[in-house]
Amino acid sequence: MSIVSDLFFILQGITATISISFLSFGIGFLLGILLAFIRLYAPKPAALLGDAYVKLFLGVPVLVFMLLFHFGFGQFIPFFKSAYFSSVFALGLRSGAYQSQIFRAAINSIPRDQLLAARALGLTDTQILRYVVLPQAFIVALPGLGSEIALLIKDSAYAFILGVLDITKYADILRAAYREFVAPYILAAMLYIMLTFPIANYLDKLGSKLKKKYAL
Amino acid sequence: MSSETILEGQGIWKIYGELEVLRGVDIDIRRGQTKVIIGPSGSGKSTLLRILGFLEPPTRGRVLFRGRDVYGEGLDLAKIRSKIGFVFQQPSLFRHLTALENIKLGPRLVLGMSDREAEKRAWEMLKLVHLEEFADYYPAQLSGGQQQRVAIARALAMNPDILLLDEPTANLDIELTWEVIEVMEELARKGITMLVVTHEIPFAREVADEICFISDGVIQECNEPEEMIKNPKTPRARVFLKRLLGEV
Ligand SMILES: Nc1ncnc2c1ncn2[C@@H]1O[C@H](COP(=O)(O)OP(=O)(O)O)[C@@H](O)[C@H]1O
Ligand SMILES: [Mg+2]
Repeated sequence: MSIVSDLFFILQGITATISISFLSFGIGFLLGILLAFIRLYAPKPAALLGDAYVKLFLGVPVLVFMLLFHFGFGQFIPFFKSAYFSSVFALGLRSGAYQSQIFRAAINSIPRDQLLAARALGLTDTQILRYVVLPQAFIVALPGLGSEIALLIKDSAYAFILGVLDITKYADILRAAYREFVAPYILAAMLYIMLTFPIANYLDKLGSKLKKKYAL
Repeated sequence: MSSETILEGQGIWKIYGELEVLRGVDIDIRRGQTKVIIGPSGSGKSTLLRILGFLEPPTRGRVLFRGRDVYGEGLDLAKIRSKIGFVFQQPSLFRHLTALENIKLGPRLVLGMSDREAEKRAWEMLKLVHLEEFADYYPAQLSGGQQQRVAIARALAMNPDILLLDEPTANLDIELTWEVIEVMEELARKGITMLVVTHEIPFAREVADEICFISDGVIQECNEPEEMIKNPKTPRARVFLKRLLGEV
């Protein structure tokens, strides 16, 4: 097979790679904000539980969760019979842990004086979060979120082990079926670079630009 | 004087761990008054102002807003705070909002004004501090003095009963100090009730009704500006003022 036809073959996996990455990022985003709030503002027991959650996902390879969900929980829970959703779910849960770190640091970076000023105006705690803290925290978080998306795009490749037909899987099919040992993997690597680099770079630049504009 | 007492602290103590920062402070500010607080660094001036602004409860003692014991009666703190303007020593503008948007936020969210009303009010306040042409600037684009004037406008936009200012010029270069002082003097002349921590003695001389000297967690003495400057009664105040005036 030619390089071009190899490329088109592997490209069949791009939908899975992209959708797994973005779905798990979405889950991680909501979960990350929620967890950041819990760890920052909830009563102690809940906050500690949040910390424990983060430690768990920081300390265990995400592949282990993917295998556990699909092959373990998949025995009794229909949702996890899907290799695709098991992957999305495991990556999303880990991303929630990572993104809570990003958001917590971003929220903590907002100077206390602004919070005090907002309180002095008579804003409620919820209003302070919504109108003062979060808009600035999102800007501070942008570069971190960019790296997180890149990480998810890369780690979505583990889904291939569960049998998901993503970029890595199609590349590997070329090896198994056509005994092409080098070109498919190089092509896959190039595709991953083309997916990860622009997004991470864009969010990094945007974050820096806005940080500079507002002197955050 | 018979005008209404806006803010009153009665026997205020504030203790942080082992540190007794305030040890029984009594103070009151009446409508239309401009009161200045001076005192050495670390003497509890900022702490006192935060307590009088209901940003922090006292360890002991009562804080009355227009005659009502706010903590004792369990009044809604956010509501009371909205009636007390606060300007901090540190720059405290919301950095993601323009000058105009900074001023609009309180009236919109707390006073429930429409966007239009809030915008109109914000323009009036910008005019008051002579910064109309900077309406669309972000804090990062403004000088320290301009930022403090926007902070004053932001506080005034709430139509507060009193303005508390905590060393609003202490972080500014000398040439930026006067533009803030000038605005404060204009406000004092307009009859806005103010409690100001400042060591700008010319300002105090010009517009203050009274200067209070705080040290070691208590107000040592209060007096009319001339009297306080020329003839302080307590030895501590004498030493402090001598140093202050000698250095300036
Ligand atoms: N939140 C706090 N926790 C512990 N100590 C504090 C706190 N706020 C102020 N202090 C201490 O109280 C003392 C008075 O501080 P402050 O009111 O800022 O004084 P001033 O404004 O007169 O310089 C200082 O020793 C300061 O370190
Ligand atoms: Mg101070």
